[in-house]
Amino acid sequence: MVMANKSSQAIISIRNFRMEFDGKKAVDNLSFDVIRGETFGLLGSNGSGKTTTLRALLGIYIPTSGELTIDGRNYEVDNGVRLGYLPEERGLYKKESVLDVMTYFGQLKGLSKQEASQWSLAYLDRVELGDKARVRVDKLSGGQQQKVQLGVTIMNDPELLILDEPTKGFDPVNRRLLMSIIEEHQQKGATVIFVSHDMSEVERLCDRIILLKDGGASAYGSVKDVKAKYGNKSLDDIFVKIYGGKDES
Amino acid sequence: MHNIGTVIRFEVVRAVKKKSFWVMSLMFPIIIAAVAGIIYFSNKATSEAQNDASKQKFSFAITDDSKLVSPALLESFGGKTISDKASGIDAVKNKKFDAYFYYPSDVSKQKVEVYANDVGLFDNSRYGSVASVLLTQSVASTTTPVVQTILSNKVGFDSVTYRDGVQYDGFKQLIAPGVFLVLFYILIATFGSQMLTSTTEEKENRVIEMILTTVQARTLIVGKILSLVFLGFLQAIIVLTPVIIGYFLLRDKLELPNFDLTGIPLDWGRIGTAALIFVLSFLLFTGLLVAIGAATPTAKEAGGFLGVVMVLIFGPLYAVSLFVSSPETTIVQVLSYFPFTAPIPLLLRNAVGNLEYWQAGIAIVILAVTTVIVMNIAVRLFRYGALEYSRRLSIKEIFSR
Repeated sequence: MVMANKSSQAIISIRNFRMEFDGKKAVDNLSFDVIRGETFGLLGSNGSGKTTTLRALLGIYIPTSGELTIDGRNYEVDNGVRLGYLPEERGLYKKESVLDVMTYFGQLKGLSKQEASQWSLAYLDRVELGDKARVRVDKLSGGQQQKVQLGVTIMNDPELLILDEPTKGFDPVNRRLLMSIIEEHQQKGATVIFVSHDMSEVERLCDRIILLKDGGASAYGSVKDVKAKYGNKSLDDIFVKIYGGKDES
Repeated sequence: MHNIGTVIRFEVVRAVKKKSFWVMSLMFPIIIAAVAGIIYFSNKATSEAQNDASKQKFSFAITDDSKLVSPALLESFGGKTISDKASGIDAVKNKKFDAYFYYPSDVSKQKVEVYANDVGLFDNSRYGSVASVLLTQSVASTTTPVVQTILSNKVGFDSVTYRDGVQYDGFKQLIAPGVFLVLFYILIATFGSQMLTSTTEEKENRVIEMILTTVQARTLIVGKILSLVFLGFLQAIIVLTPVIIGYFLLRDKLELPNFDLTGIPLDWGRIGTAALIFVLSFLLFTGLLVAIGAATPTAKEAGGFLGVVMVLIFGPLYAVSLFVSSPETTIVQVLSYFPFTAPIPLLLRNAVGNLEYWQAGIAIVILAVTTVIVMNIAVRLFRYGALEYSRRLSIKEIFSR
């Protein structure tokens, strides 16, 4: 995939990252870069350390050791990076209206109240939730809440978009909508970090990938290189091979 | 901290949109009005019933060994005289008279005896009323108005006291600084629960990760605390406005005392001290409750700690007489300087005038330092306890990160 404005400069650099919880190792000596403008797949089985790595990168966890930087600095809310983060743990203020919640997040991300409100209404129309703007969040279905949360994630036109299992809970129609939104941001030159268990999506969207196993990297490089390393098998087969499943090919 | 205005606005708007905020705010004046109304109408009804009862005509006779009852007055009341008590009692039993009163020779040592036919629990009081009025008016007619005023305990007294040679009215002096004590009590009592749960919501809604990557934890916590301060004042206005309006509208009707607000002395030193103690105490306890909320996974679990905090704040009220009368005792000193028990002792002692300025200064510094520490801990707890959805953070964990 050829990206607009892509340069070889790393926007994210992770060096010798180690994370322990109660003395138990969750991530061990992990190092990788994410290049500005690329779409990067952070892959691995459950408990392999993907979410922990993202949380440490975003300063939610303090790493046991190692260095995790965005644009050469530890991530801070106000250090100038336009971030869109869709965490694995989904949630919104449930008792407020959809529009109020979206406007609030928009304002926190630097938009004026009017800009945030206008953007939110346009987005809600696009994702067929235009009639739900004044509805309380907890009155929406799970999938509808996911769409609202995705809107909150992208409303500041992020230069770095981190999506932790974004398709989880989406039906095929909404999955397609989500993919089109991700592709739009790719086209705009955003760097996208994509966590998913759906290898077909990864193969379609990602330039490079890393596969984590037991808190370390077991494969890292361009999708093409990783596939070549494993005899040009599909990513799905490679995933099964790495994580201990039976290789049927 | 540039987002602090956005956080405050969001928190305030969504709080005032909740029905529970208005129920909590309006409940206090409504309960006060309801209780006052019940007391007023109950007293009025009782008084009217007694007046009606005393006005009802009934036949009676008396035996006056005291020689105090005026024959003319007795006649005007329609009463008769009977020579001895036994005949009087028999006359009642035989229904010759409705009632019989026996006035003993020395009413200061012996009771006036009333015998009467039963006319119901409440209406029976009319007999005693007439017996009393007959005696009182008879005696009053023999004395001067001055003596009557003295005997009826209606003499007014106007006291002037001095402190250090300057006129000083202890009760009036405590009104202005005492307002802060009342305000603190009302705000913490009605708002504590909301303070406690203000940070658990982000956890319970799983919105914490998005929030922490969008706004600084410090900005969010300080914004939440300031919004609670604002809501506290808003609630105080909502509580006090109907009380004040009701007072001025219904003062005469309800026979409420007429407070001369212009006569309340304003000692700006003490008022300023009270304001400072009030603000710091409110911030301290808001920070403490927010910190507890941040350290616990759910609002329900956080609620268990509210009782402990309330004991710390309001426990000193049990020693209220000590704060007023013996401010130098060790227990008062400890409670005044220990920041988590200090608000009530300090505000009370400042109101009654036994908190020296140097003592207030030390206490305010302790309160301020503790408030800053608690606020920082609250931010830290929120920051690092944020993803502990299902378990409480231990003290060791809080300080090891």
